Amino acid sequence: MIKIEKRNDVPMVLYFFTPFIAIILTILGGGIIFYILGFNPIEALKFYFITPISNLYGLSELLLKATPLCLIAIGLSFCFKSNNWNIGAEGQLTFGAIVGGGVALLFYNQEGFYILPLVILAGAVGGMIFALIPAILKTYFNTNEILVSLMLVYVSKLLLDYLVVGPWSNPEGFNFPETRQFSDSSRMPLLFDGLRIHAGIFLALAAVMLSWFILYKTYLGFQIKVSGLSLKTAKYAGFKGKTMILVVFMISGACAGLAGVGEITGPIGQLHRMISPDYGFTAIIVAFLGRLNPFGIIFASLVVALTYLGAETAQIFLQIPKYTGQVFQGMILFFLLASDYLLFFKVKILSLKKNELRH
Amino acid sequence: MATDLRISNISKIYPGCIANDNVSLQFKSGKIYALLGENGAGKSTLVKILSGVISPDNGEVYLNEKNLKLSSPLDAKKNKIGMVFQHFNLFETLSVFENLSIDATEDNKSLRVKINEILKKYNFSIDLDVPVLNLSAGQKQKVEIIRCLLRSPKVLIMDEPTSVLTEQETEELFISLKKFCDEGILIIYITHKLKEVLSLCDEVAVMRKGKVVSVSQTQNERVETLANKMVGQKLAKIKKKINISTNKDEIFKVKHLNFYSDDPFETNLVNLNFSVKKGECLGIAGISGNGQNELFQILSGEIITPDTSIIFRNKEIAKLNPKQRREYLMAFSPEDRISQAAVPELKIYENVALNNFKSSNFFEKGLVNEKKIKEHSKKILSDFSVNTDNVELKSQFLSGGNLQKLILGRELITAPELLICYNPTWGLDVGAINYIHETLIKINDQEKSTILISTDTEELLKLSDRIAVIYKGKLSKIMPSEEVTPEKLGVLMGGGSID
Repeated sequence: MIKIEKRNDVPMVLYFFTPFIAIILTILGGGIIFYILGFNPIEALKFYFITPISNLYGLSELLLKATPLCLIAIGLSFCFKSNNWNIGAEGQLTFGAIVGGGVALLFYNQEGFYILPLVILAGAVGGMIFALIPAILKTYFNTNEILVSLMLVYVSKLLLDYLVVGPWSNPEGFNFPETRQFSDSSRMPLLFDGLRIHAGIFLALAAVMLSWFILYKTYLGFQIKVSGLSLKTAKYAGFKGKTMILVVFMISGACAGLAGVGEITGPIGQLHRMISPDYGFTAIIVAFLGRLNPFGIIFASLVVALTYLGAETAQIFLQIPKYTGQVFQGMILFFLLASDYLLFFKVKILSLKKNELRH
Repeated sequence: MATDLRISNISKIYPGCIANDNVSLQFKSGKIYALLGENGAGKSTLVKILSGVISPDNGEVYLNEKNLKLSSPLDAKKNKIGMVFQHFNLFETLSVFENLSIDATEDNKSLRVKINEILKKYNFSIDLDVPVLNLSAGQKQKVEIIRCLLRSPKVLIMDEPTSVLTEQETEELFISLKKFCDEGILIIYITHKLKEVLSLCDEVAVMRKGKVVSVSQTQNERVETLANKMVGQKLAKIKKKINISTNKDEIFKVKHLNFYSDDPFETNLVNLNFSVKKGECLGIAGISGNGQNELFQILSGEIITPDTSIIFRNKEIAKLNPKQRREYLMAFSPEDRISQAAVPELKIYENVALNNFKSSNFFEKGLVNEKKIKEHSKKILSDFSVNTDNVELKSQFLSGGNLQKLILGRELITAPELLICYNPTWGLDVGAINYIHETLIKINDQEKSTILISTDTEELLKLSDRIAVIYKGKLSKIMPSEEVTPEKLGVLMGGGSID
């Protein structure tokens, strides 16, 4: 007979150590999958995890992909820490990109130092507004934020589709579903010649520092922490629950919007249908892998960004679909949840007793 | 054929709580058995074991001397044990007939015939083809009962069946249950309502803290004897402190406190009016589940009710949240100290910061003033003799008594004019209970007031100056405690009247 018991005292060291166990298990699991598919697992894993970052360009690509993941995950950590399950960051990213991109398109034939800040601000506000929809529906109409935020992802994606094929499509674009190219003043400055890494990374780093400060040093952070641990206690202490829900969704939406605007003003340079390879969803894994801790999230975003790069390299060298990246991301989450379960609960196998044998 | 159900040495342990502790009981058909106990006494766990929803860690169930292996609800059905849960298991959008046909073995035609026979036999009037959502709670319950009857059960278990019924529906239910009993079905009736036990059941088993504490014939019991068994103390007259408050100002006054909830498992409060004088302790007695939770939350500001007037020190505070009420020098100590009054995962000083009032300066301009909070916490730990001086300790490592001292200390260090506490000594050892009782008496000595909501009669008689009893969301008249006898309290707690 198997019996599961809650552990009373879980050491914090282990709590921050299990993500590493999850990553190691994921690599082992990946090796097994490659073996089953008929590849030499060691070589395949090398293509997946080493080759992509063995040169300067690769490292730049790693940071480029980690930037939006980190930004979104930082925002999500505010929601998740306070028991608000915003899983629509992908929608907030898309809507932020739409609003920011709209502003960039207004200035498509103009130059000026003020344009980029305006575009970035518009993106953040766009994401914030989009995140306010599930937040307001939750606080005033008792809806479930998981459903609402998820469904709004598709709303924003379809809106983007409509805009790029319809009113915003490039008049000189031969009916391709994309907008004009943004002017150089709407583009993120590149950090190095020939590499795609851009100034957006500073936004992500600023978000990390700021979120650490808010979460650990302010009254808002204290309220978020208490609400996440016990809503009953938050109510008893007299925290303004509704305001807090709105605030955490706004922070989260703004971060996702920034990530979206970072993509279109960074590597992409225009709006089209595929502005994000599901960064908004993958960032949920990043947030949890980073233990909702700002510095943990930096680390987690690098690891998960590597699965994106690895998948692309594997597609080129091993001719396996790049969707294996999602397999790896899924495995990380699976192993993380599994090791957390074993961390918080102990499984006892009891020997069968006499009376049970009788049955 | 007679049915004989025997439960032998059943134990079920959940992390941190023993739900059933070596429970043995015997039931025979032809009688209605009551299983009585407070919330959390272990009744529901036992019933879930009998119906196969959970399996016990230990012990056996015998039906007519056959050892039953109940590892799923299906096993219970096969062995002809029927169960009507407190929460109905019906598909609201399907019709009555569709609901009944889901787990039926017959074809639809013969099923309909069979159902109609049952309807006729027991005089149930239910339209089989309307969706379940159109039915009243009583009718829904009948659908559940029919579902059991279709399998011609030997045992029928009813879990708190009247909690969602009207008086009329309750009477109808009792008539049906007596009929079933005459037909040889063994009935086990789970409740915490004493009057129902006396009017319906033949034998009563009382459970407390997971154990069976008494089995007796109901004809030998009265409301107050059962109440005593349920709450656990022999209600003894204890010498209480001298009543000092005469002709004092009323500092707290509640008028027209009404609370209505759509949730049938919450208790509605009906027109509560009371006041507390300076330096006085007002005790509110009652068996748990009679509205104490709701009352506490309204007094603390966690629930805001319209049209209620709460005057505290000449100010209307009924619309204020708990934090704002604290600014007016009220303090609150809830029953649930582990997941409401404090958070086990937080450190001691973080738990202290939960009682954040303006003059504390815990948070200045939105920033955490950790130094201030820690200094303040150190003072609480020493003033209230909590057995640690480490404010960084997570509060999950404090014993119940020390945690309660910390909470009371946190609430009292602001020198509040009124402390509202709910079961402050619940689950504590004697030493801690004495300390907390002394603390509460000291508050009154300092001309501060307390409202003590408690299920512990001994405690109430020891500490209160005046006592009222809450029963089904209504408050009895408030009596000076020297006029109160344990017997009187017992009668009122069971819903009786003493005039």
